[in-house]
Amino acid sequence: MDIDVKNLHPLEVRLLRHVSLGQNITGNGIVEELGYKVGQCNQAFSWLSAKGYLIETSRTKGVFYELTDFGREQQAKGTPAQRIFGLLANGPKSLPEIAQELNLEKSEIGSAFGQLSKSDVVCMNEENKATRKNDFLPLELEVAASLLTKGLDGEIAESSLSADEKQAMQKISKKRGAANSPFKLIEREELVFQLTGDGELARKAIFEKNITGEELGSVTTDMLSSGSWKTGAFRPYALNAPTSRLIPGRHNPYGNYLQWVKDKLCALGFEEFDGPLVENEFWNGDALFMPQFHSARDIHDVYYVKEPQHCKRIEEPWLSQVAQTHENGWKTGSRGWRYSFDHEFTRRQVLRSQGTVLSAKQLPHAKVPGKYFGVARCFRYDQVDATHGADFYQTEGIVLGDEVNLKTLLGLLKMFAEEIAGAEEVKYVPGYFPFTEPSIEVHIKHPVLGWFELGGSGIFRPEVTKALGIDVPVLAWGLGIDRMALMHLGLNDLRELFTPNIESVRTRRGN
Amino acid sequence: MLPVAKAELDGHEGDLLKIELNDTNRPDLWSAAGVARLLKAYWGVEAPVYDFCSTEEETFDNEGRELHVHSSVSSVRPYGIAFAAKGHTIDEQDLEALIQSQEKLCSNFGRKRKTIAMGIYRSSLIKYPVHYRGVDPDTTSFVPLGMSEKLTLREICSQHPKGKEYGPIVADSPVFPYITDDNGETLSFPPVINSARIGAVEIGDDELFLELSGTDLPDMLLAASIMACDMSDLGFDILPVKVIFPEETEFGKELTVPYYFQEPISCSLALVHKTLGEKMTGEEAVASLKRMGIYAFCSDETIYATVPEFRNDFLHPADLVEDIMIGYGLGNFEPEMPQDFTVGRLTAAEEMGRKVKDIMVGLGFQEMVYNYLGSRREYATNMEVDGKQYITIANPMSENYEMVRPSIIPSMMESESVSGHAPFPHKIFEVGKVAFLDDTDNSGTTTRNNLGFLSSDSVMGFNEVSSLVNTLMYFLGKGFSLASLDGDTRFIEGRCAAVMVGETKVGVFGEIHPKVLENWGCGMPTVACEIDLDLVMATK
Repeated sequence: MDIDVKNLHPLEVRLLRHVSLGQNITGNGIVEELGYKVGQCNQAFSWLSAKGYLIETSRTKGVFYELTDFGREQQAKGTPAQRIFGLLANGPKSLPEIAQELNLEKSEIGSAFGQLSKSDVVCMNEENKATRKNDFLPLELEVAASLLTKGLDGEIAESSLSADEKQAMQKISKKRGAANSPFKLIEREELVFQLTGDGELARKAIFEKNITGEELGSVTTDMLSSGSWKTGAFRPYALNAPTSRLIPGRHNPYGNYLQWVKDKLCALGFEEFDGPLVENEFWNGDALFMPQFHSARDIHDVYYVKEPQHCKRIEEPWLSQVAQTHENGWKTGSRGWRYSFDHEFTRRQVLRSQGTVLSAKQLPHAKVPGKYFGVARCFRYDQVDATHGADFYQTEGIVLGDEVNLKTLLGLLKMFAEEIAGAEEVKYVPGYFPFTEPSIEVHIKHPVLGWFELGGSGIFRPEVTKALGIDVPVLAWGLGIDRMALMHLGLNDLRELFTPNIESVRTRRGN
Repeated sequence: MLPVAKAELDGHEGDLLKIELNDTNRPDLWSAAGVARLLKAYWGVEAPVYDFCSTEEETFDNEGRELHVHSSVSSVRPYGIAFAAKGHTIDEQDLEALIQSQEKLCSNFGRKRKTIAMGIYRSSLIKYPVHYRGVDPDTTSFVPLGMSEKLTLREICSQHPKGKEYGPIVADSPVFPYITDDNGETLSFPPVINSARIGAVEIGDDELFLELSGTDLPDMLLAASIMACDMSDLGFDILPVKVIFPEETEFGKELTVPYYFQEPISCSLALVHKTLGEKMTGEEAVASLKRMGIYAFCSDETIYATVPEFRNDFLHPADLVEDIMIGYGLGNFEPEMPQDFTVGRLTAAEEMGRKVKDIMVGLGFQEMVYNYLGSRREYATNMEVDGKQYITIANPMSENYEMVRPSIIPSMMESESVSGHAPFPHKIFEVGKVAFLDDTDNSGTTTRNNLGFLSSDSVMGFNEVSSLVNTLMYFLGKGFSLASLDGDTRFIEGRCAAVMVGETKVGVFGEIHPKVLENWGCGMPTVACEIDLDLVMATK
């Protein structure tokens, strides 16, 4: 066994230095000889036993006497017998006189006087006054008084008492109801330990390394101001002692991930946009050239606002241009959807159901060339489960420029796949979105997740861009970063991203 | 291969493949025959010729088969069209495929039979002409498919499972649509149910009559053509039916179905180059379209394409460009980086939010991210407020998600209510959005970027939260004062305050009222604060 004594606690060190091989080691002895408190002594025994340096050799029931408050008072003032005997040195007194002068209860006088007269050192004279018969207190009462003094130092083991002391102690101690008795009698098991072979090795090592157990502990301001540290050695601490838990202020790892994505997009030259949670059908669908009868615009796909049902107005000229584009294509080169555009429905208010709304709203204000993105909270009429939330984030954006085309769209997707998703391989497939033509889905091979769809994209239909005043091609893209966020956080349930559970968020690490 | 059809393999059992189709504008692909047709073209198999469609110029002989649409039906379901087929004996697989095509077309493309419903009948039992008219639902009766006795049309709506499902489409009309042959024998009560005799197609039948009724004539004609092409692929000869309408339609008063109504589509080669970034030749573009099953030619730097009988999804030249792209092969386009230089930038609200988050984290708070939808109980009842200014959802899926959160404080209280086990003190915050009614805005609502924070511990009170607000405002560089806050029942009166920057009330804070704590089942003294960061930013 490797003997490492550097990490021994001072209580262990001092104990080991104090004992020797073959010696019976008792708690009582250690308390007496090293001045340990009983608790400290028990700690030292327990630590050293655990290390295999001490072994328990026997366990006996011991009797101990503990000074009570009553005993402490007697020790300070003297016992009633002592006090009466002392008072009588000045001449005989009647019992009431004694009671008054010593401020004692009658019962106390009675019992103390009984002890004294039984020992034949006092008696009643003919005037019925107590008077001394002898100049010395009987041995037994002297012994009792000395026990009181001894008791001040702590528990007295019965095994340490002489025969006389034992006899005296019996009269002044009680096991129960000891409040009126000078000592309380306590029965306790006493453990006896011996040093083991390893313990002896440790003991020798301590001496060799000159560890005294008196090394310096915590650095104190006193130590620093007095310079006392200069003359001592610092005790090394146990490095692997358990530490206490700290609860730091922290960013939410999911929030951090979203911030990271935003920073990435900024680094790639994208400007952030944002918008309100309440939208109208115009921006949520019409401006994206989704026909008003489109299946995804059903009451079962979008949350409608109860009140106000409609917004006051839709900005012109966008309303007229979009409406005509739906009806007959307007000047976009399209034949349109060929139906009568509903001008009331278009003002119907909904909770934003897709981040692309923000892209559409940006178009009338966009710079050319321009790159924009948004991380938008969206709402869907979905049953909430591990893969669907009532509300969730979508990351979307657009790129405007006279020279952008399918190839630049593919390049952009490749850049996202590599920079944001850490993809190893990228694959493009034709997709379908109502507002882009052509439409492309990008699938990536992720080092951990394998192949999955990273996002959808395309070139905005001219019906979308021209109606909103943009004459250059606009690349539009959306990234499904939830799955990566979950992996990043070691989770597999979307609801966990928005959990109200404080402990769960506090302990969440992220990668 | 499936990506060509914008489709994904969804799974397979033995020989059966499940395919998910993403393009809602391509109903021709919603059948096995349709997907097979596209893949065959892509693989270069000679395309079948669908030479049964009449056009504006050429009308095929209907050999006496007619469908008369009566004016009595105009008010309820104005259009009916039909064609017939023979020359192939249907087996179990065919029947299944026909029913699947029919169902998909009517439920998705036909919006749950609202705009298109379709019936298939045993043509050999029919005496032409077939009549489509509006009838009295209470005096007209027949034996519907799946039942053994006569029911009136209205009874069918209440008693037959299909009646319960589709009856509501016509239920409010004084007359119901009804189809009979010239002998008065019932074909069906569209869009609900066929008759039990003529309308019961079985394995072994080799002469079919197919009728569509609805409200959108072009969509119905397209659906009819798709069915005709699918049936032609099965081996049927398609037989035209002349439809006679009571008045003019956009395609005339008489129409022989199947009918090709699609207009040709063209796009300039320049648009192809600009959109795809690839300088392909006219021949390459034409060959790409051929792989997509589209006949085209190039003349004068322009691609002219004939839209196939079964498609009508070319709204804009861009749609043709996409088919060229798919036919050319996405793998043949080399990704390129955008060349334009642009400046990346976060919104001012995001910048502000990050600053605030850093301060709150420094003050020992844990950032939370919450959902924005919740229940009235959480947002109003538990908070002891009336919720009159809150945005309510008209069609909530459940009462757990019926309101947009007006404040971050209830979100944080929910945290408290579920986190009694988490060691105290609790110090949490969120920077996020809230929304509530606001007359001054066009939408009658406003969305705000707010900070909310909450602290909960055995000893926690106004002084603690006041110190936090003081520190926060110091580091935001905003001088502020506190004003008394009256009538905010979320807090203990006299132990809450409004945070004022100049004359603007930018936030509130205080000791959460024990009644609110009780409502949430919380047993610790709690303080909370909410600050409107948009307002803070707007102040000098």
